[in-house]
Amino acid sequence: MHPLRLSLCEIDYTEQKELLTINLKLFLTDVNEAILFDPNSTELAFCRPNEAANANRLLMEYVNRFFFVKANNERVNLKIKSKRLSGKGENTALWIYFECKQSDPIRSLEIKNAIFTDLFFDQNNIVYLDIDGINKSLMLNKRTQIYELIF
Amino acid sequence: MLKSISSYLVLVVFFVLINGCKQKPVETDSKTETEEELVQRALEIHKRVLTLDTHADTPLRMIEPGFDMAERHDPKETGSKVDYPRMKEGDLDAIFFAAFVAQDIRDDDGNTRAKALCHQMLDSVITSTERNADIVGLAVNPDDAYELEKEGKRAIFIGIENGYPIGNDLSNIEEYYNKGVRYITLVHSSNNDIADSATDEKGAEHGGISEFGAKVVGEMNRLGIMVDVSHGNDSVFYDAVKLSKAPIIASHSNARAVTEHQRNMTDEMLKLMSENGGVVQLTMLADYLRTAPPNAARDSAMAAIRAGMTKPISELTDEERSALRKSFTELNEKYPNPPATVQHVADHIDHITKVAGIDHVGIGCDFDGGGGIEGVFDASEVMNITIELVRRGYTEEEIAKIWGGNLIRVFKEVQLVAEQLQS
Repeated sequence: MHPLRLSLCEIDYTEQKELLTINLKLFLTDVNEAILFDPNSTELAFCRPNEAANANRLLMEYVNRFFFVKANNERVNLKIKSKRLSGKGENTALWIYFECKQSDPIRSLEIKNAIFTDLFFDQNNIVYLDIDGINKSLMLNKRTQIYELIF
Repeated sequence: MLKSISSYLVLVVFFVLINGCKQKPVETDSKTETEEELVQRALEIHKRVLTLDTHADTPLRMIEPGFDMAERHDPKETGSKVDYPRMKEGDLDAIFFAAFVAQDIRDDDGNTRAKALCHQMLDSVITSTERNADIVGLAVNPDDAYELEKEGKRAIFIGIENGYPIGNDLSNIEEYYNKGVRYITLVHSSNNDIADSATDEKGAEHGGISEFGAKVVGEMNRLGIMVDVSHGNDSVFYDAVKLSKAPIIASHSNARAVTEHQRNMTDEMLKLMSENGGVVQLTMLADYLRTAPPNAARDSAMAAIRAGMTKPISELTDEERSALRKSFTELNEKYPNPPATVQHVADHIDHITKVAGIDHVGIGCDFDGGGGIEGVFDASEVMNITIELVRRGYTEEEIAKIWGGNLIRVFKEVQLVAEQLQS
């Protein structure tokens, strides 16, 4: 695995659809380390037929501690719409997809992404934004956890 | 280990005062040389030669809101390994900043996103060089490194790590070239549309470089962009040697005979790199430099903590989780893995020199991409590589080749081939 500590986050908003979508891509080993203190644990079995009943709750307890999105100064209520795995072995990624109704046009967006900065001092969290055609990418980390955009 | 040339000189004086008589003499051609004299000689060589690091993922840092390359950052606090003050401290004359785009979905949306991110990072590098034009300069031709060095400025070259932002559109390559990109690493940790990765656990998809990838190599040759095979599987290397009309590079790879890792190059590949006229740039990634032995003491201590727990981890309160995290962190600090050191770096250089020759080895630290070892933790400490090379008997001429001369030679040949192809 690339020793670069990395996660990806895609945030898209389309005014016409009144929809804000958030896609988090996290290395599964990091998720297991963060929640179960064991990178190779299979206890929660994310996206497997035997996924633990408390897997989503534990996942969101962790995510909500280190990640939020505020649209027009209101924190978006993150509810998992779907999850999936991609890749193999140490490169296995857990994708977590959120969909939120956003009726009011977005005037401001505040993002906190400090995911895994409790584990790794050099964690890099890349955030891709596409807000009604306005594209921007940024890197958040332990030092710079929050970024706000005003439209 | 040393932190910077200036702080080192203070250390040398201190060392001479209290320990000078205990130093083990080193035999040279002309006289017996003490350790302090050797270090001083190495630092002078380090200052005279062009020092060029071919791989740093610093552009990713540059899209962190508020990150300023002109400020000195603490690597232990921020994770940052390169900024302009630390390049000066380490007397690092030139560097390739690689715009690294992590492999994501291979469809139109993914390609568009990757291209946007790549352009944003390239623009960040260009803006940074413009804002700091008194201390650095954007370099696009090999000789720019020497010109900027004469002006007392650091040379900032640009590369791209992972061909993913090319998408399936060859015209993107010229767009990147026009922004200053002079090498592209074909693939990263997962397969892409261009080539197979050395570390994709799904295995090979194209059997090396794909048909589209062959066109990418051709276009890079035409424009004068160096073909970088680091991160590719072995077949990618062999395909690149066959396909490329110009010598190729491995911008950050080591020797597999010294450290068994699929990212490192076999002796057969090193010999072929020599025949190709290319260059292998040594990287400061611990796992590519040495094989860490099992850490039984730490593992058993962690197992003991788990065995003593009265309820499953998933049922712990926040306070209990924090306490457990602290215990595990303390154990990792108490029983660390043995570090990779500059001696390991020199072992790899010794080996590549023996197998491929002195004209085919260089340095690409991979700072800000996981690179950084004991003694060469960030850009301010790169002089320790030179000190170790001098200690092992490398001459100034050889060190000049390793620290930049070889890469510049390849870069010039790549440009010459491009001129011929365009004429």
